[in-house]
Amino acid sequence: MAAEKSRLWLMFPARLITRPIIYELGHKFNVVTNVRQASVTAEVGIVSIELDGERGEIKKSIAWLEELGVKVEPVEINTIEG
Amino acid sequence: MDKNSSPYFTHLKCRECGRAYPKEAVHVCDFDFGPLEAAYDYDAIRPVLTRTEIQSRPQSMWRYRELLPIDGAPTVGTQVGFTPLVKADRLAQALGVKELYVKNDTVNYPTLSFKDRVVSVALSRAKEMGFKIVACASTGNLANSVAANAASAGLTSYVLIPADLEQGKVLGSLVYGTNVIGIHGPYDQVNRLCSEIAGKYGWGFVNVNLRPYYAEGSKSMGFEIAEQLGWRLPQHTVVPMASGSLLTKICKAYNEFATLGLVEKTPFAMHGAQASGCSPISTAKKKGTDIVKPVPKPQTIAKSLAIGTPADGYYAIHAMNETGGSAEDVNDDEIVEGIRLLASHEGIFAETAGGVTVACAQKLIESGAIPREESIVLCITGNGLKTQEAIIGKCGEARTIKPSLREFEELVREELQATI
Repeated sequence: MAAEKSRLWLMFPARLITRPIIYELGHKFNVVTNVRQASVTAEVGIVSIELDGERGEIKKSIAWLEELGVKVEPVEINTIEG
Repeated sequence: MDKNSSPYFTHLKCRECGRAYPKEAVHVCDFDFGPLEAAYDYDAIRPVLTRTEIQSRPQSMWRYRELLPIDGAPTVGTQVGFTPLVKADRLAQALGVKELYVKNDTVNYPTLSFKDRVVSVALSRAKEMGFKIVACASTGNLANSVAANAASAGLTSYVLIPADLEQGKVLGSLVYGTNVIGIHGPYDQVNRLCSEIAGKYGWGFVNVNLRPYYAEGSKSMGFEIAEQLGWRLPQHTVVPMASGSLLTKICKAYNEFATLGLVEKTPFAMHGAQASGCSPISTAKKKGTDIVKPVPKPQTIAKSLAIGTPADGYYAIHAMNETGGSAEDVNDDEIVEGIRLLASHEGIFAETAGGVTVACAQKLIESGAIPREESIVLCITGNGLKTQEAIIGKCGEARTIKPSLREFEELVREELQATI
């Protein structure tokens, strides 16, 4: 399967802010994580990240993040408008 | 530079780091993923775009074309815009203010919402760049506008919608002969699929890879307000917020007119309006932060504003802060009241987003955030005929009688006596 890059915004709820999720992601799946911007407060964490890997691995990474409660959006958030 | 390139619209630039990008179908900075926006050479525009020149042009949004991101003459939606700025004296009296105007995009051409402004820019630019297929993902107004404007421009269009969207809304796009594709699944997954399609097929996706062009179309609403007010800026502008883009672009429009000397640079405040059932921007603004916390499951009758992760929320908060504006939100009952207030005082039937704007303005006036003696413009962005279901059963009922004059007179006797 071809390698591809996926550019995402991750939004962490307060309960996940202290957990090293991006570190875990890089160990659990065969993807390269590349953080481009981050803003973390006690209430919410917002990180823009590039995931580099095979499509299947990227899909699994996203599913795992969502299962944990991280909101995953493409960098083009609001693709669907009113 | 290409000889066909506009000398006024010069490049795209990242709103985060300011890096410059060529005028292509790109929308995100490669470095920080910040959004790209159009940049202009104001020194070149200043001698060309004078009040006299603007007034000599046809009454459409394109009379300000040097400040819109296309290279040549517009080819799509050439009659869009220049909607009425209504001096709303009866509504002003009801709200207890001195000088109130309604920017009435309920009658924007051709699909009765402000989306025609952004779509006409996006599609004019798409044609310049050689796109044959244009697309969008939408739950309402945007879909209708892309379908209609693409049809009139002879472009093939695809409209992606959540599969469970109401039939009435689907029909409003299908009628134009567009390709409508319903997608099953939660919002986040639909969103990501659309983003993948935009990247893979090389279509002109109006609010993805054409977003820098698309978003600029909103500025025309601000230009028109300033011109229609007699070349001055209103002290307060109340704008509904979904992604927050419209508020930032009206703010940009006012600043550009001041930069060009078309209006005097007087203080103006931008106020944002949201529905309480989806108010990530107003909540953050009220808390005094610029970090916008997503709303996972929006619940409001104002569906055209129900965006839980607003792309321009951060920038909207900064625009409000920098201009001394404020944000407010209102519940569904207040939204319906807002719709009725505007309709019964000004004869303007707005969609739910309009109800949000009116009701939030009312709250901001009552709280003193908008002083009663200052000039106020309410931006009404879509027609009420599009969201009639929101007010069914909430405006009273028709009274019925037999075809008898006696019955009629009995029915209206008291009312007639009251008016004598």
